[in-house]
Amino acid sequence: MKDIAIILFASSGFDKAAQGLTGAARRLADEAGAKLRAIVVGATETVAEVARIADTVVVAGQPEMADYQPELCLNALTQICREISPAAVLLSNDTYSQEIAPRLAHRLAGSAVGDGIEIRMQGDTVRVVRQVYGGKAQAVLEMKRSPAVVWLRARAFAPAPARAAAGEIAGAVLDLKPDQRTRIVERKREETGEARLEDARVIVAGGRGVGSRDAFAAELQPLAEILGAQMAASRAACDAGWAPATWQVGQTGKKVAPDLYVAIGISGASQHMAGISEAKNVAAINTDAEAPIFKHCRFGIVGDYRKILPLVRQKLAAVAK
Amino acid sequence: MNAEATREIYWNIGHVWVMYALLVPTLAAAGYGVYRHISRWRQGLPVACFDRPAERIRRVLTHAILQARTARDAYAGWFHRFIFFGFIVLVIATTVVALDADLGMHIMHGAFYLYFQSFVVDVFGALVLVGVAMAAARRFVARPKPLVYTDEAAGILAAILVIVVTGFLLEGWRIAATHDPWAAWSPVGNLAGRASAMVMTGDAMRLAHRVMWWFHLVLSFGFIAWLPYTKMMHVITAPLNIYTASLSPIGASLRNIDFESSAAFGVNSLQGFTWKDLLDLDACTECGRCTASCPANIVGKELSPRDLILQLRQLMHERPREAFGVPANGDGQPAGGETHAGLPLIGMLPALSPESLWQCTTCAACMSACPVFIHQMPKIVDLRRHLVMEEADFPASMQEAVMSLEKRGHPFSGTQASRLDWADGLNVRHIKDASDAAVLLWVGCAGALLERNQKITRATAQLLQAAGVNFAILGRDEKCCGDPARRIGNEFLFETLAKDNIAKFKQHAVNKIVTACPHCFNTLRHEYAHFGGSFEVYHHTEYLARLVDEGRLKPAAGGRKVAYHDPCYLGRHNGIYDAPRQLVQIASREVIEFERCKGSSFCCGGGGGMSFIEEPPDKRVNQERAREALATGADVVAVACPFCTTMMEDGINARKGDRDVRVMDVSELLLQAVQPGTSAPTSAP
Amino acid sequence: MNILVCLKQILDPEVPARDFHIDPAQREAERGAANLVTNIFCENALETALQFRERSGDARITALSYGPATAEETLRKALAMKADAAALVVNDGNPNPHPLTVARVLASAIRRLGQFDLIMLGREAGDWGAGQTGALLAEELGVPCVAFADSIERAGGHLRIRRQTEWGWEIVEAQMPVVVTITNDEHNVPRIPKVRDVMMSYRQLLTKWNASELGVDAGDGYYDVTDLFIPQKETRCEFAAGDTEEERAGAFAKRLAELTSTL
Repeated sequence: MKDIAIILFASSGFDKAAQGLTGAARRLADEAGAKLRAIVVGATETVAEVARIADTVVVAGQPEMADYQPELCLNALTQICREISPAAVLLSNDTYSQEIAPRLAHRLAGSAVGDGIEIRMQGDTVRVVRQVYGGKAQAVLEMKRSPAVVWLRARAFAPAPARAAAGEIAGAVLDLKPDQRTRIVERKREETGEARLEDARVIVAGGRGVGSRDAFAAELQPLAEILGAQMAASRAACDAGWAPATWQVGQTGKKVAPDLYVAIGISGASQHMAGISEAKNVAAINTDAEAPIFKHCRFGIVGDYRKILPLVRQKLAAVAK
Repeated sequence: MNAEATREIYWNIGHVWVMYALLVPTLAAAGYGVYRHISRWRQGLPVACFDRPAERIRRVLTHAILQARTARDAYAGWFHRFIFFGFIVLVIATTVVALDADLGMHIMHGAFYLYFQSFVVDVFGALVLVGVAMAAARRFVARPKPLVYTDEAAGILAAILVIVVTGFLLEGWRIAATHDPWAAWSPVGNLAGRASAMVMTGDAMRLAHRVMWWFHLVLSFGFIAWLPYTKMMHVITAPLNIYTASLSPIGASLRNIDFESSAAFGVNSLQGFTWKDLLDLDACTECGRCTASCPANIVGKELSPRDLILQLRQLMHERPREAFGVPANGDGQPAGGETHAGLPLIGMLPALSPESLWQCTTCAACMSACPVFIHQMPKIVDLRRHLVMEEADFPASMQEAVMSLEKRGHPFSGTQASRLDWADGLNVRHIKDASDAAVLLWVGCAGALLERNQKITRATAQLLQAAGVNFAILGRDEKCCGDPARRIGNEFLFETLAKDNIAKFKQHAVNKIVTACPHCFNTLRHEYAHFGGSFEVYHHTEYLARLVDEGRLKPAAGGRKVAYHDPCYLGRHNGIYDAPRQLVQIASREVIEFERCKGSSFCCGGGGGMSFIEEPPDKRVNQERAREALATGADVVAVACPFCTTMMEDGINARKGDRDVRVMDVSELLLQAVQPGTSAPTSAP
Repeated sequence: MNILVCLKQILDPEVPARDFHIDPAQREAERGAANLVTNIFCENALETALQFRERSGDARITALSYGPATAEETLRKALAMKADAAALVVNDGNPNPHPLTVARVLASAIRRLGQFDLIMLGREAGDWGAGQTGALLAEELGVPCVAFADSIERAGGHLRIRRQTEWGWEIVEAQMPVVVTITNDEHNVPRIPKVRDVMMSYRQLLTKWNASELGVDAGDGYYDVTDLFIPQKETRCEFAAGDTEEERAGAFAKRLAELTSTL
């Protein structure tokens, strides 16, 4: 049985996504009776944590690999994967992984698929379940070429328990020719210090019904503060300039899995719901009693958020005392 | 009665030939003035407005002679009639003099002279003075806002005053100096004569008379020569404009575009207007009633139909060559090689700013208020067409609605509703399964996709079912009728939607249509014919009223105080006021009229694409109407249009406080009356 | 400078859930009453290209689509938005090709259309949402790929590309030729074309090929769709009760407090 490989970027740390990815891969490897070979880009403490779940770890710890550069990274990973020759390569759904996964598959003469929410091995075949049609349907895909390069909605998977002893850790031997055709020259973090939206336990999100950037700041943000929540938004609100793109949740935004998702002025279109399918509880405020969001809610209230939120905040403040 | 009663024409005046000589430059100047107007109108595109002369003449009699609309403001109506009829009588009197003096027709004597030429003329001359005094009081003392305050207007009043006063003085001095035996038949002149005699000798009066006669003549001739260069031109243009005004209902006022051959889509220079549009500009009397009745203007927005017309007119007069550019030939194609489109209007003229243009709800209160039948609103739509189709420059929220219309056939971008949601459990048939259906129920986009309006569609369908009407729907095959596209200015998209719908109607052999939306009603009834779609279209209130008349619906009397709000597109645009009232009457204990009702109904603010615009919170048309609604003291505000439903609910909910006031469609009221026990619809709090 | 923008025509992704049905035999969505629209991210890409051309002054934009014959509408719309040229590869084979086939067909068409410095696609399509076409196309053409960009500028002989990441954004300097996939942003909302341009677009020439003419080796498969279904998920929503809005807001707040207090 060929091995299962995973690719992690050490710069993200052993976060919930990394835990989910390693968990999913561990279970897949166990199911297939194969070894789990982790590839870590960048040498940090992540390596040690991964080594307690994977069977072996290959570290691409060269100084050129410390900061992600697409061509170089792709080149390096291609070399490592060719050596390992796995049945499947799993990645998380961060920007870099999504960017390189299909290209890696192409170079390895494999096939790629993304945003997997379930992954199974049936004999030699990798089967992946993913949402399609803007979240309205689910498809089961059978990968026809090897390796299957799959990036997963990592946070939706449970972590695997760590072993006492660590697996073998080795440095990758790479033939890295400089490739400056594309170069990331500037990186800007907009989320400062807070937890990532994908890891947030409580989220307050605004949609088209909110109506303005000011309303986000004046009405929704205070609620988020009281609840200890992070802010998010639908694509409509982001495209209108009311919220930054980093707040966007949905099919083409962040995939979040909070314990509580408070949706304000969001109709519940499937593309948005595709980003919160893992939310444990959804609550909504909307003027339209027939809005699809209510079909996904645990509880809701029909009305104008402009009138309701001040009252809600008042009550919450009173409860806090 | 003395058959010899008369007076000497030209008494005390010599060198009368000078008067005739002065007539030449007077008429030349006046004639040139009129010619200038005509030459400008002729630069406009062709349009046919001379059919059905009998109706047109009737209109002129009602509105130009009897001035029915001017008289809506009683004070202004009276002083205008005084001046108008006064001048007519004075002109007749002058003509009589001319016939007698120049043509030798000996008519100015005897009873005719006494009763008419002396008495009637004096009385009407005095009425002119009363009229001028009333006008002056309004213009200089009361100073109402909608009026246009120019030196010219003041000058006109002053000129009329001086002409008439000097006329009476002349008469008085003649009467006094000649010891006129029939002085009593000219009461005002007699008075003037007697008063003058107290301070002037006979010789003095003779001298004064001679001098004043020439002064009066020069002033009068000057007035005539000046007339076409001022707003007094309306004495010619107003009757002409009223005669040539469109005989179609207001709802059919927008013109079509031939996309294959038009040089420009929409209007952004005078070149794009028809000669009738240009005549409109010249008919304006600067009364300001259009702006005074414009709902946008009333709530403090900058749109002013009056200023739009006057600024266009000023441009036409002051810079005609640049404004018209290369004259267009008959079909609007530029003549010869060089294309020079004429000065762009939007943004250059302050009243034609894009902001103003996007404030119009197309309610046509302006058109309805105008005493001389100017079409202000269609010009605004013409200008919008340029912005939308030539520049693709229009408000972002309207762009979303237009894109949604193009992609999905409805303007409600982002909705997750389906066109059949309202019909759940009602057993309504699609027309393809119902070739025997008597009538098609056209649901409309709001009726299908907006939650509140879905209830109204249900109510209408249930009423039709209760009456045993065999109806069917187009279901998902229904596309927007195109009204929002047309009013926003995307005539191209409107045409596409219209042709699509007409093809479907023909495919299913539809000829009778009922709809609950006055905008759909107006479009289907008037605006589809141009594309080959002629159907019998009814508004649901008309149709339901007929069912009640025929006994197919038996409503019980209702128990509430209801105020009925006339939708612009049903009332003003199509003259349907009674059918909805009939139904409301039945279904309520007491029907209250809004202060501004029927033809003067105040818009809810939703038409013209305005329901897709976010208005500034302190300048919302619907809030003003909601205030009025709450002031009626009614428990229920009855509406008959989906836009009105939304706008009135929003407005009333925002202002009603603790009062229980509901907005209900006429069909919902009727359903309750027909099926007691039906619960009232819940509107979102 | 030569820019190529790929555009895909898809079934309207905003069809309400009630009207969305699957054909289980064909394993794809039923057409039903849905309209055909251009994928929004492709439109974002075209808009980004148009803005690039406005800023840098000199660029020729070609629009390319691989799809059914109806995709011509998508290209006409692109021409109406003032793309300079358009080409259609009519899909006369499997109506739902997988991303590798699409990439190979596009690559073949691109080679026939000329040399391009910048090739732009939407990040993914609103129907299957695979998000791979751009990356695979880059590999087929042997050029680099930058994903999730929202704006591009000329910087001397190369490009400065801003792209979104989950924690903010990055600036990538890229040499040409390069493939860039575009994501939505408040600044690349597609423009409305002028009606005159829409009319003119129907008079412009469109290059057309059948996919089979291009002689593309579709290969022996990439992945198979073995099942397509609409998951049934129903939650009963508890609506806040109360006679006044204050009461209802209070009930809602109570539930919020209950759920967050345990965290």
